[in-house]
Amino acid sequence: MQKLEINEISAGYGGKEVIHNIDLKITEPAIYIVLGPNGAGKTTLFRTIGGILKPFSGRITLDDTDLFNSKEARKRIAYLSHLSALPEEMTVFNALKYYANMEGGDIEHSLELLSLSDLKDSKFSSLSQGQKKRVSIGKIFLSERELYLLDEPTSNVDPKISKEIRDIIIKLSKDKFVLYSSHNLYEAREIGTYLILIKNGELKFFDKIENIKAKQYRVGIKALNDISDLLPESEFDNGYYVVTVDNPAAVAKIINDLVHAGAGLTEVREIDNPLQEFFKGE
Amino acid sequence: MSFWQATMKRSVKLSRTYFIMGVLMAVFGTAISNVYSLIPADLLNIEGTSIDLMNSMPLVSVSLLSMSALMFSMPVMMLFVFDKNTGVLEYLLSTGLNQFDVYKGYVKASLSLASILLVFSNVLNTAIGIYLGTSLDFLATVVVLTFAVGLSGVLLGAVSMMAFSSFQKTQLGANQPLGIAIGMVPVLPALMVPFIFPSYALVIIISIAIMTLLFSLGLLLLSGRLIPREKLLP
Repeated sequence: MQKLEINEISAGYGGKEVIHNIDLKITEPAIYIVLGPNGAGKTTLFRTIGGILKPFSGRITLDDTDLFNSKEARKRIAYLSHLSALPEEMTVFNALKYYANMEGGDIEHSLELLSLSDLKDSKFSSLSQGQKKRVSIGKIFLSERELYLLDEPTSNVDPKISKEIRDIIIKLSKDKFVLYSSHNLYEAREIGTYLILIKNGELKFFDKIENIKAKQYRVGIKALNDISDLLPESEFDNGYYVVTVDNPAAVAKIINDLVHAGAGLTEVREIDNPLQEFFKGE
Repeated sequence: MSFWQATMKRSVKLSRTYFIMGVLMAVFGTAISNVYSLIPADLLNIEGTSIDLMNSMPLVSVSLLSMSALMFSMPVMMLFVFDKNTGVLEYLLSTGLNQFDVYKGYVKASLSLASILLVFSNVLNTAIGIYLGTSLDFLATVVVLTFAVGLSGVLLGAVSMMAFSSFQKTQLGANQPLGIAIGMVPVLPALMVPFIFPSYALVIIISIAIMTLLFSLGLLLLSGRLIPREKLLP
């Protein structure tokens, strides 16, 4: 896939517009984090790109082919909603087979990729929420696609599985386009290359995450020894000495000074996420 | 396996109760259709009553066999609501199907299941009728009427069920009785008309079946335009 173009798209439900004149052009394989508060229009945007909703106006093209009117183009897209979208009365294997029969694909590959082989004979309805999510993700990996629309793929999943899913998606994004919605700002920053910020149905920001500049950075430092004398301007909060700097490069100097002073550092972590400030401010 | 075949297979596994009830109703309908043969004619022709039981009773089987077909196909209609609520329909739309493809899949599954039961019940009814000496003309009439009324009732039930399920603002769960209620519309006259207008029963029943069939087909064909895609979303 060369490009996804979203041209002045407006869409919604029952004649009521939810997203307004969204204009985006995506040309680089990467993870595009779609961020926005509840009700901002993220799911509506995904549904419109996925051909589920017909746009009120505007056009979405995949390599210049209209997405809504081309079944062939839609076969190049994988859509993961926040619901399981699987026949709940079936076993895991048969639930995946249900879609494999319609769309084609390799069930064993999906089972292996999502570590589901042990569950393949289990009834889908008997699985935990996290396991259901994995099976649901499994269905979009039955066959290879070029554009992945992932609506909160790691919600309801434990941290270990969440990391495994993120690793799969990161690997996928080397040569695929991934639109990934999340409420988790740390996750967004960890895996995202680009940020698409949507508020009140409008596109507020679209750029590389690395280009986002925060006004200040708060860093928490834990040490074996009392370092309050070494960091006189820090606040002690919840076991951390919290220092505020206006440039991430300043953190390196602080750490270097503490190491030389024999502070016995045990942990250094970012307290605030720059995306958080950006998210509030935009 | 195509979408409608998979839907039919899933429906069979979803609820066996409806299938058992459908078969029992078909057996009951067959019994009603043939029991009059065993009753002396003078007992059926009661003087002073306007109801001609001799001619009316056998036609009652048409509505009972049709109801059994409606009952037999009910799990497909339940499955539609279930799939809508779990996001399966949304996913199907994302794969490139449109709303008409989706409706068509469930309707085909409903009609196929109903046809299976109608074939079973008519074979049973005809075999018993021949054994009891019922006229072949009458048995053939019952076969035609049962398929006409049964399939039109199932079609109307399935289409209106999906349409109303899509129209309703509050999801009321999978046990949606509206499909049965609406599907009964063409079936009930088949139950009553033989007693009220025995001379015109055949014409009235077949006319209602044809009108229902045309109305349901029209509704199905227009569903793509009348019902927006978003109505299939959870």
